[in-house]
Amino acid sequence: MAAPAQGEDSDDGMDEFMEKFKAQKYKNAFNESNWEEEFNKVPMFMKTAPENIDPEKNPDLACIQSIIHDDDRTPEEQARGLKDEGNDYFKEKNYKKSVVSYTEGLKKNCMDLELNAILYTNRAAAHFYLGNMRSALNDATAAKKLKPDHVKAIIRGAQCSLELRNYVGVLQWCDEGLKLFPTDKKLLELRATADKLKREADKDSRKAKVKAKKEQNEKKALLAAIKERGIKLLKTELSRHRGSDSEDDDGHGGASRALADLELDGMGSQEATGARVFMDEQGVLHWPVLFLYPEHNQTDFISAFCENSSFMDHLAVMFGEELPPWDTERKYQPQNLQLFFEDPEKGHLYQVDLETSLLNVLQHQRCFLKAGSPSFIVLVSGSLFSKQFLSGKKVKRSK
Amino acid sequence: MLSDGEAAELLSFLNLETRADLKGQASEYVLGLTGNRDGCRYLQSKPDCLQALVTLTSDPSIAIVKDCFHALINLSADETLHQPLVTETVLLAKLLPKLLDPEYVFADRICTILSNLSRHERTCRDVFRALQEQDIGLDRLVEVFCNQGFNKKASLHYLGPLLSNLTQLPEARLFILDKDRCVIQRLLPYTQYEESSTRRGGVVGTLRNCCFDHAHHEWLLSDAVDIIPYLLLPLAGPEELSEEENEGLPVDLQYLPEDKKREEDPDIRKMLLETLILLTATRLGRQIMKDKNVYYIMREFDRWEKDPYVTSACEKLVQVLIGDEPEEGMENLMEVDIPKDVQEKLIELDAKEQEQMEKDEQEQMEKDEQEQMEKDKQEQLEKDKQESEKNPKQSPEGLER
Repeated sequence: MAAPAQGEDSDDGMDEFMEKFKAQKYKNAFNESNWEEEFNKVPMFMKTAPENIDPEKNPDLACIQSIIHDDDRTPEEQARGLKDEGNDYFKEKNYKKSVVSYTEGLKKNCMDLELNAILYTNRAAAHFYLGNMRSALNDATAAKKLKPDHVKAIIRGAQCSLELRNYVGVLQWCDEGLKLFPTDKKLLELRATADKLKREADKDSRKAKVKAKKEQNEKKALLAAIKERGIKLLKTELSRHRGSDSEDDDGHGGASRALADLELDGMGSQEATGARVFMDEQGVLHWPVLFLYPEHNQTDFISAFCENSSFMDHLAVMFGEELPPWDTERKYQPQNLQLFFEDPEKGHLYQVDLETSLLNVLQHQRCFLKAGSPSFIVLVSGSLFSKQFLSGKKVKRSK
Repeated sequence: MLSDGEAAELLSFLNLETRADLKGQASEYVLGLTGNRDGCRYLQSKPDCLQALVTLTSDPSIAIVKDCFHALINLSADETLHQPLVTETVLLAKLLPKLLDPEYVFADRICTILSNLSRHERTCRDVFRALQEQDIGLDRLVEVFCNQGFNKKASLHYLGPLLSNLTQLPEARLFILDKDRCVIQRLLPYTQYEESSTRRGGVVGTLRNCCFDHAHHEWLLSDAVDIIPYLLLPLAGPEELSEEENEGLPVDLQYLPEDKKREEDPDIRKMLLETLILLTATRLGRQIMKDKNVYYIMREFDRWEKDPYVTSACEKLVQVLIGDEPEEGMENLMEVDIPKDVQEKLIELDAKEQEQMEKDEQEQMEKDEQEQMEKDKQEQLEKDKQESEKNPKQSPEGLER
């Protein structure tokens, strides 16, 4: 403030006006303690805008905001304003709000194609960061339709397709873009990435096919081996039902269905092992076998009983050193045991020669496998229970 | 040939304004001339006639246009006609713009002519220069080539050999090897294009030429281009490899289906191997090929291959793959100085090898002939047998009911 020159007359009364300030205290001044808070409330000095502008609390802000949505302006101006608003929200990472602004801008339906293309492209970007890939892709497509040389839209379209794992789509977007901008680094990079991922995916699909084929062949070989031995698999209720419904003949579907018979019904309620017959490298079959002890309501499960092993081989081990705890009378000794299998159709019991192999027994005319698992009833020869159990039943003894 | 008077008359008929029937006959006659070497040599000295043919490719009559194109194709197949065709006629200026016209019905014929003309370096330069003058970049050629269905009436397969020929020029290779664009990458999948061996051969030839510049090898072998799988796929077969061997291969070669077929053209197989051998020139290239288990593919290929020339190339590659690294100063095989006496010995060995291969080829041909004769004999025996079996039914002793 220049001091009045000596001897000069200042006729605009400036001096007096200035003098007044020195004397009077300024009312409505900011308080020393809360001046920062107060500052923040003035629109011009706000560091952040409140999420929702309440006209009552912030009349100044509400006023300014309404200028943006002033309906006196042309659609182009309004759309442009909304675009800027959206961009601002975008910069703050407030993507949801930016989508709203861009949408409002598009609703104005102004005639400026480029502006609309930008609105679509920017909205696509917002959706992209929100993870709404399909919406983003739609917007990118719309933008490209309005302005086919809008490179940002093309890049966005490619990026969305990449996230959606549509690698062929990415290549299409990129190639379209590269026609117009053959040296665009982003497009070249996206194309290379998609190409690599596509080739990986192709490999995975080939690998899966090879694996499926291998499994299919193994299944076929297994069923063939079972059939070759003359072992009969019993059709369970479920498979019989399914058999009447399906149309495909006994080639492809038949093989997997018959094997499904082996897995269906589980192996009885107690055995949740899901064990299944398998063929080893030498072509020998190994079966999951159940031993039932009706006297004590107990069972034993052998997960892989080699078809060439004899029953005595296993019984000697199972009842060899220690007898099971449920055998209270200590009478289940290998030499005392009798094994039977039941003919499921006629209900007859057939005694098993303990020295013979499992294969031999499975090949018996009246031996049918339920759920792919042979089961045998174990009794103690001459015991009271066995006499009771066997009475009234037709029993075919072994020689 | 023709007297001067007759020649002048002929030329006068080869005019757009001439009556259709005379025009037709004249162009047919010229086509006939181009059917043999003497005729072609005669026309070599008649630039006006050549120009007339070029002009008549715009004739409204399709029959005449076809004849003219046919004649030009024949002429371009003769090397002595190359310079006259490009310097004494407006062939390049007139036909190049139509090459990439998606509606032009005769685009394929232009491709064939150009691929003929670009065979030898001198005229190849003229063709390349003309392309540049017409603002047809090689990237544009590649783009059209890789866009199936670009021209509904023309397959444009002969753009393949054209590209291959053009890339004999270093300046042309620079366009294909442009790191800032997507050019060579577009060609790679076509090494397996089943529908046309012309296209496939052209692409492989282009790739081979591009591998001559070892400065670009690092880029070609990197993920940015990843050329190796595309060279190996046509050579890989359906043989099952162990899971371990599979996992070490490039992704594209893993778990190939059981109906996988190898490239059926031995010349293309040889070119693929030559390209791979070129890529072993640098230490990096050798390292990468070893890391990618290229050897396993070559092992199976060697068991399958019967052609002695191709086998020879395969064995050369395998030797590098399983051999030790060369000593200091010799890592880049392309830059090694070979002493004179060693050079002479190598030439001698090459000649001996050539002799051996020709012998093997001869033996193979004789073997095949022998096999074929045996087969024919066998078939004849079968036929005779069937004939004699038929006869009893016709014998008069058959019962009549």
